[in-house]
Amino acid sequence: MEQGKRRKGRNYYDYSLLFLIIFLVCFGLVMIYSTSSYNAAKYYQDPAKFLKRQMLAAIAGLPIMILVSKFDYHFYLKKLPVIRLKPVTCLFFLCLILQTVVLVVGKVTGGSQRWISIPLLGQFQPSELTKICVVLFTAYIVQLAPRKLDKFMGFVRVCVFVGPLIVLVVVENFSTALIIGLIMVSICFVASRKKGYFITSGVALIGAAAIAISVESYRLERIAIWKDVENHPKGYQVLQGLYAIASGGLFGKGLGQSMQKLGFIPEAHNDMIFSVICEELGMFGAIAVLLLFLLLLWRLFTIAINAPDLFGGLIATGVFTHIAVQVLINVAVVTNTIPATGIPLPFISYGGTSLMVLMIEMGLVLSVSNRIVHER
Amino acid sequence: MHRYKSYNRKNFSYVAIAVLLVSCYLIGRLFYLMVINSDNYAVKAQELHERERSIKAERGTLYDRNGTIIASNKSVSTISVIHNQITDPELVIKELSSALNLSEETVRKRVEKYSSIERIKSNVDKETADYIRNLSLDGVMVDEDYKRFYPYGDLASRVIGFTGSDNQGIIGLEVAYDKYLQGINGTILTLTTAHGIEIENAAENRIEPVPGNSVHLSLDVNIQKFAEQAADTVMKAKGANSVSLIVMNPQNGEIYAMANVPEFDLNKPYQFNEAFLEKYKDQTLTDKEKSEALNNMWRNPCISDTYEPGSTFKIVTATAGLEEGVVKLEDRFFCPGYKVVEDRRIRCHKAGGHGSENFIQGVMNSCNPVFMEVGARVGAEKFYYYFDKLGLSSRTGVDVPGEANSIKHKLENVGAVELATMSFGQSFQITPLQLLRAGSAIVNGGTLVTPHFGVEVVNAEGTVIKELKYKTVENAVSKETSETMKMILEAVVADGTGKRAYLPGFRIGGKTATSEKLPRRSGKYISSFLGFAPANDPQVIAIVIIDEPKGIYYGGTIAAPVISSLFDNILPYMGIEPSYNEKEIKEYNIGKFSVPNFVGLTKAEAKKLFEEYAFDEVHWLGEGDTVTEQFPLENEMIENNSDLILYCE
Repeated sequence: MEQGKRRKGRNYYDYSLLFLIIFLVCFGLVMIYSTSSYNAAKYYQDPAKFLKRQMLAAIAGLPIMILVSKFDYHFYLKKLPVIRLKPVTCLFFLCLILQTVVLVVGKVTGGSQRWISIPLLGQFQPSELTKICVVLFTAYIVQLAPRKLDKFMGFVRVCVFVGPLIVLVVVENFSTALIIGLIMVSICFVASRKKGYFITSGVALIGAAAIAISVESYRLERIAIWKDVENHPKGYQVLQGLYAIASGGLFGKGLGQSMQKLGFIPEAHNDMIFSVICEELGMFGAIAVLLLFLLLLWRLFTIAINAPDLFGGLIATGVFTHIAVQVLINVAVVTNTIPATGIPLPFISYGGTSLMVLMIEMGLVLSVSNRIVHER
Repeated sequence: MHRYKSYNRKNFSYVAIAVLLVSCYLIGRLFYLMVINSDNYAVKAQELHERERSIKAERGTLYDRNGTIIASNKSVSTISVIHNQITDPELVIKELSSALNLSEETVRKRVEKYSSIERIKSNVDKETADYIRNLSLDGVMVDEDYKRFYPYGDLASRVIGFTGSDNQGIIGLEVAYDKYLQGINGTILTLTTAHGIEIENAAENRIEPVPGNSVHLSLDVNIQKFAEQAADTVMKAKGANSVSLIVMNPQNGEIYAMANVPEFDLNKPYQFNEAFLEKYKDQTLTDKEKSEALNNMWRNPCISDTYEPGSTFKIVTATAGLEEGVVKLEDRFFCPGYKVVEDRRIRCHKAGGHGSENFIQGVMNSCNPVFMEVGARVGAEKFYYYFDKLGLSSRTGVDVPGEANSIKHKLENVGAVELATMSFGQSFQITPLQLLRAGSAIVNGGTLVTPHFGVEVVNAEGTVIKELKYKTVENAVSKETSETMKMILEAVVADGTGKRAYLPGFRIGGKTATSEKLPRRSGKYISSFLGFAPANDPQVIAIVIIDEPKGIYYGGTIAAPVISSLFDNILPYMGIEPSYNEKEIKEYNIGKFSVPNFVGLTKAEAKKLFEEYAFDEVHWLGEGDTVTEQFPLENEMIENNSDLILYCE
């Protein structure tokens, strides 16, 4: 790779990012097995049940990622021959339809209607697909006329296009809507030469979030839990996560030695997986994982600022924001820094759709990196 | 296509820096949670994971005065089930019910009960426990435990008492010293999952149990054995219901033995002893009747049952008379065989009367009219005063639980007739131990002691942690009266009604009694004797009570020999050597001689030689005419009246 960099005119491909991703996915598989085997054995008589499923997603995701990365991302902006529509617009409409469908016929789990059952493939979460769509679609809208973003109305124009997706998501899934919103804002922010109106819109966004929070009583309750996690009757899950983190100490109990995963933390392989990482691998392990993510973000950052054009740069920006926001919010929730909200830890938490979507996004970024031409 | 311009890069840098800052904050937060403040939640997490299981503390040992163990523990097991861990409940129920001899329903109820741990059976012997352990059934726990064990079985059963399955004393000294004997249970802390399942091989935290303290008793296993043997012999010979025998040190109240035959087996306290088996052999008892019968069997008559003491009580009347100065040793009395008190003619036990006699002779004859006279001279009020002073109105304070108190008329109801009968030990009831205690005060120089068993409490390392102290009251009787009483009571044994308690070489004092049980004329008697030795400096005092002897029932005839045979055994054992006076040496042929040689002699020659020495009997062993071995050996110094064993070929 280093050799390739120096050769003039040779296209760049970020292998270090590729290996980082593969490493994170493998680490995630190890942690999923560690956290889920007890419960899987207890309830499904198969300790590797969750591991197998996640592995399937990873194995399916890897070729898709590489395929996407080898594909020129400008393709998404070119009109398809027959239907005379751009792929990015198609994706946008597909997401709109799926988000609407999920609200009508979706499967309810944990009080929220977020899943569509697809024969053969199992369950599918449209909001995850929406994340890719928002990255691509926002970048597309912005690069059509980047100068417009210098004015507030330009930002509003982007919001009007992306808005429907966010609204459809927020109905059932506040945290994903938040992520999508932040991706959109972040892309606009990077593309804009003026920053003033972001402060105004930031205030507006907080206001909107406040309204969204107060509409649903359970969100207010989560704030109450956050403030007094030890005594609140529903603070159980977060508190158990804190017990796990505190039990870890500097070097942890060792891989597989967590006590809290033995039924104390419900579904430890999901959003709370980071607390078990803390318990088993200690503070050093936890910081190492965070550093891995920072390294990954550093790669994304490098690709973005070296991007050959605005569209590619904005895609990298969107993906960067997506991963950064999820990691930070997840860790913040697990450490009870902010009120609880269900956001998985990218690449590590259990979830097939989420992993595949992340790998596709990585494919997009790799594809951008592939277009970087070294000038010597 | 637009280019990604430098302002884009700058903007993105802002975003990246924001992310970096938040990351740093979160790492700081992690550091706080995991290092600085980790104890807080980590300790709570630890508490959440730990489950307690208790380890039984070993109960303290009971030792006799020589340090012999009379109550200790042996290893047994407790079988319990953990509901959550049972994988095959039917198998568990089947195996446990058959191995433990329990009904399937009982086991099923416990197996199916949703609790963290449920005890199926305790005190399971080692073999059964090992069998169950080897079955390796999921969810069945076999925990080591202790069971009380009494190496001497039925020795002093009603005194020592026994414990229940919860390691708590049920009767006797096991109850009295429960607080010392019981240790502090320990705990095993194990790690469990959220579903209460123990994690194997997880580091266990143990809080070690503290074993109970041991108690050293004044009881002497050998004296107790002698006492039980003596009591048993007379009970069988006289067909009595029961025989109680207490042996005590009159100087300090330490009880050496307290026999109540028939005893019961302390290792099987819920099984009837022979007497009860015989009594109930043709009946099927309800649970209630059985438990009443068991309670009767466990009852300690020496302290829990009162009786009319009869003539042994005359020592109290005599003491009262002497203390008050209303009677002198040389005072003369006349017994026509009865005494008229108010309108009643109260008979003496000797129909023809004892005729003219002085006070000492009156006591030696146990003459009722003499004591009625002395009682009348003392007067009811003073009589009650001495009754109280000799501790007969209150419990003795003995450390065995379940003590009864005396029953007597109220002072204002005591007329001349009542006083007269009380003077020779009737119309009130006391416990044998109360009488023994009063007798001790009379012969020990006047100190009212507290009878007791417990001497000191020793911890598991053997350090004395508590010396048990007991109340004593000085001057319950004056020294002079005490000396006089010892002299009189020695005379009773030497040449009075108690002469069957006489033991050559020892100075023994005592008083007999034969009391008719209520209702009168039922033909049921209690025959008793109170004796002490040596008479000049009492080291041991004993009382024997024979309940309902058949045939001859006179205390002087059947109770006195029990004490003499007991003293014959225990006085040498206690290191009190006999010293014979000339009359005794002559009369009982006391002395020693050197054994001659019999080996090699023919039977006829040996017989002839045997006659020349002070042997008692000769035992011939083996066929033949020539002596090949002898016992004792040649030139050995032996007591007169010893036996000789000769082996012939």
